[in-house]
This record gives sequence, structure tokens and C-alpha cells, in this order.
Amino acid sequence: MGDIYDMFFNMDSGYLEGLVRGFKNGILNKEDYRHLTQCDTLEDLKLHLQGTGYGHFLANEPSPLTVSVIDEKLREKLVVEFEYLRNHAYKDLATFLDFIKYSYMIDNIILLITGTLHQRQLSELLPKCHPLGIFDQMETVTIANTTADLYNAILVDSPLAPFFKECISEEDLNEMNIEIIRNTLYKAYLEAFYDWCQRTGGPTADVMCEILAFEADRRSIIITINSFGTELSKEDRAKLYPRRGKLFPDGLIELSKADEYESVKRVSELYAEYRPLFDGTGNNPGDKTLEDKFFEHEVTLNVNSFMQQFQYGVFYSYVKLKEQECRNIIWIAECIAQRHRAKIDSYIPIM
Amino acid sequence: MWRNVKCKYCFLGQIIDYYLLLLYIVLLHLKMSSHDRIDIFPSRMNLTIMKTRLKGAHKGHSLLKKKADALKMKFHSILRKIIEAKQLMGEIMKEAAFSLAEAKFSGGDFSHVVLQNVGKAQMKVRSKTENVAGVKLPVFEHYEDGSDSYELTGLSRGGEQLSRLKKNYSKAVKLLVELASLQTSFVTLDESIKITNRRVNAIEHVIIPKIERTISYIITELDEGEREEFFRLKKIQQKKEVIREAQEKVRKDWEKEKEAREVFASIPSNHVPSMLDDKEDEDLLF
Repeated sequence: MGDIYDMFFNMDSGYLEGLVRGFKNGILNKEDYRHLTQCDTLEDLKLHLQGTGYGHFLANEPSPLTVSVIDEKLREKLVVEFEYLRNHAYKDLATFLDFIKYSYMIDNIILLITGTLHQRQLSELLPKCHPLGIFDQMETVTIANTTADLYNAILVDSPLAPFFKECISEEDLNEMNIEIIRNTLYKAYLEAFYDWCQRTGGPTADVMCEILAFEADRRSIIITINSFGTELSKEDRAKLYPRRGKLFPDGLIELSKADEYESVKRVSELYAEYRPLFDGTGNNPGDKTLEDKFFEHEVTLNVNSFMQQFQYGVFYSYVKLKEQECRNIIWIAECIAQRHRAKIDSYIPIM
Repeated sequence: MWRNVKCKYCFLGQIIDYYLLLLYIVLLHLKMSSHDRIDIFPSRMNLTIMKTRLKGAHKGHSLLKKKADALKMKFHSILRKIIEAKQLMGEIMKEAAFSLAEAKFSGGDFSHVVLQNVGKAQMKVRSKTENVAGVKLPVFEHYEDGSDSYELTGLSRGGEQLSRLKKNYSKAVKLLVELASLQTSFVTLDESIKITNRRVNAIEHVIIPKIERTISYIITELDEGEREEFFRLKKIQQKKEVIREAQEKVRKDWEKEKEAREVFASIPSNHVPSMLDDKEDEDLLF
């Protein structure tokens, strides 16, 4: 089985894989981050970024430079690269890249639904959507006046239709809190993605299923922790857990019964990969938070995916790593701009 | 020709008289305004009225001064509170902005969804008035209305940072409301202190001297009237004295004449004056 993938992969996707590996080499390393943390102003930051793969991306911006401008430009670069990859991809790789786009589409749809329900104009909402998540039927979302119209006319034609069909009915759209809709959609998406990767098989399945399983477990744990003290009931909460991680099925049952942080910790520590993540976390200043540890683990998994060849996981990992890099640079920029350098080293190192 | 010249000079004289009269009136007016007293008739009753008004003015002055002092004390305490609040504000805003950066790091860009989902305000402001020495100062207090509609935002990522962010910003908003109410009272108090001080000074430097001048004017007028009266009486007495002396002299003269005539006519008879004689009688003087 392994042979088929090695032989035929490069025919369809070899050029793009080479491209992605080249992009990956441009990701900032420890040296670059050290230089960035030593900057005193955003102008210095811009100067240092010019020496990296980003080049003169901020050259045309009027001064004074703000953090939001830097954020926009960083994202723009990633979008340009991704669109190039997507436009040159076909067959399976195209489907794979579409799957990556679906998560951004979910965010955009949630934004549009919220905006439409509160009678905002389309022209206001469109610029706020994530550029990677734009799809054709997006503009028609705002024509609908009620959620029933929205569901019947528009969402069924969009690429996200299967996710809606699976778990949300028309009445649910009206009653449910927008966050619950978002998480339900994401659960359906994750499960669909996982199944597709599994069907594809080969090294893609090896790499991607590992990453997606961790993503599923991470979401279950975080949803559980964040739902303490809110109006979300345990049954509703259990419906949001994606069922493709290592915690499925026993861990998820235990999680759905959990009432406080300690019980969650106990359940997670039964799984060898997750135990070290809970050590050394806490709310004291100086400790890393649980989310930080999850980010680090995700980064490790993504970097490791580049060790394997002839699989689509490198594309997914590249997108995720680039996003993390954007987050890191913005974090450092905010610390510099707000002159709050105490936690400037709390970014997640990648390479 | 002499008559023409005389007429011309007559006319010129009239003009000069006219201007002199004007000048006199103007000077008189100036003299009067530098005195700057109330124009009332100088009688004893008006004197008592003025004295009562002076007493009232003094009492009003002391009361207003007390009000000004009370307002000033409140002013200083508000100023101190404003300085504290502003310093605290700087720190809290800094922390809130940083916690926003932290939340964005963990939770992605949730700002658009939050903004679109906004319905009605969760934290509202009520205004009340506080009475300080007669001045109504506005005071704002905040109150929470409705539950947190963003409980589940960041459910799948960044939830902890988001709840910390919510706490920080609600602290900042509460402090802002307090600061706003302090600053409005500051401005209102400032106005009313200026007004009260203006009134105190007006009473002290304009009204009371005016009344005092009026009183002294009435007193001088009354004194002068008394002196005039006294002088008039004396003059009348003098005049009566002179008349009496003159009449005394006439009577003496008449008696001397009478004596001479008596000596002249004493031999024939004792002339006994009778009531039916056509003689002049002397006047009776009291």
C-alpha cells in the first residue's frame, strides 16, 4: 500500500509539496524571535521583519504603524500563499485544501448569521470575514431575513451543508446560542475531515489522524473547562465533543460528568500523551496556562509532520504553523506597543 | 450800531450762560456718582430703614461666606479623589488592554462576532443629585442590567483569558463612571463657587459701602437741618431783641418828651391822661 503513495504522489502534488517545504523553511526561528523581542518600537520590528522571509510587506504602510495593520498584512501573506497552492491543486489535494478552508468558512458563516439576525448590512460584514473562508454563496446569506430562509435557501447549497444537516435543524438555529451552533458545526467538520483522511489512507492518514485526534481531544477538554459556571448543561456539553479523539468513548463520558478542573485533570492524566500537558499549569503568574501547553503540543505535532513525505499533512501543518507565527509576532508587537514587556517571552517557539 | 453790538453780545452771553449751565449740571452729576449712594429722601424713617438694610447685608455676607467655605472644602476633597481615580485609571486601562492582547492570542479574533452580537447594554448608568450646601451636584452610579450574553464566547478556545478580560474591562468601566461623576461635580462646584464668591465680594465692596454712604448722607443732612433750625431760631430771637430795643428806645423817647411836656404844663393842672384822649398809646410788648 505504501508504494502506491510514494510513486504517484509526486505526479499530482510534488511541485506543491516542494513549494510548501520551501515556505516552511522561511518560518521564523529562535534567533529571529530573539531579535524581535529586543525591539523597542514597532518600527524596529518592521525593520527586523524585513530581514526575514516577510521582506518588505510593510513597506507601503503609512506611519505610525499599528498592531492591527501588522496583523492584516501578516494574514494577507498567508492568504496569498494558500490561494496559490489551492489554485494549482487538483483531485485529492484540492479536496484536502478545501477541508482546511472549511474551518474558516464556519467562522465566517457564524459572523454573517449573527450580523443578519441583528440587521447589519452586508457591506459592513464582508470585510470582517476571514479571507480564507470566502465562498460563493456567502453574499446571499444576508438576503435571508429569518433563520428559516437562511437554512432553506442558502446554507443547503453551501459547501457546509453536510455539517448543518448532520446536527442542526431549523428550530435549533433560532434557539441555540451562536457559540453552540459554532461548536456543533466544528464538531461535524472535524469528524468529516478525520473520516476523509482515514479513507485516503497511507501516510496522510498516519499524520493527519494524529493531529486531528489531538484537536478533537483538545476541544473537548477546553469546552469542558470553559463551561464550568455557565448555563451550558452537561448533556448539551456532551453533544459538542468531537468523537474522533483518543478520549472517545470512555474519556468523553467521564468528561461529560466532570464538575471542576480537578476531575478534568484526572481524566486526562489517564492518557499518556496528555499527562505532561497538565503538569506545571496553573493560574499563578509565571505558570503557563493549559492553552499555552496545548499550543506547544500542537506545534510539536505539526513540525513532526514534515518528517514524513508523500502526504498531505504538510500543507495542513504549514497553515497551522504560519498562523501560530502570526499570533506570536502580533503578541510581541502588542507587548512592545503597550510597553508591557513582562510577558513578551510568552510566545510559542516553533523551530 | 451800539444797539446791534449790544444785541450780539446779549446773544453770545445767552449761549455762554447755556453752556455754563450744562457744565454745572455735568459736574454736579459727577460729584453725585462718585458719592454713589442710594437716592432717597433724608428723613429719620428712611434712616431706620437704611440701618435695617445694613444689618441684613452684614448677615447675608456672613452666611454667603460660610456657604463659600463649605463649597471650597467639598471642592478640595473632590479634587483629591479625582487625582487618585485618574492614576488608578491609567493602571487599570493598561492592564485591560494587555488582557485583550492575551485573549486575542489564545482565542483568535473574536471581536467581530462580539460586536455583531451586541443587543442592549449590560451595564447602565443612573444619575442622582447630591445636595452640598445648597448646590445640587450630579452623581452617576452604574448598575448591571441583564445577564451576561457572552458567557459562551470562547468556549472552544481562549475562554479563560476572555473571562479575565471581561472582569478587567468591567472594572475599567466602573472606574470611568466614577471618574465621570467626579468630574461633572467638579465643574458644577467650580461654577457655583465662582458665583458665590462674586456675590460675597459684591456685598462686601459695593452694597455695604453704598448703604453706609447713604446712612452717613442722611445723618449729615439731618444734622445740617437741625443746625439750620437752630440758627434760624437764634436769628429770630436776635431780630426780636433788636425790635424790642428799638421799641424800648421809642418808649423812652416818648417818656422823655412826656416828662418835658409835663414840666411845661405841670402848673396848670395835673394832666391825667384819659382813655378818651386822642393820644397815641404805646404798644404792648410781651
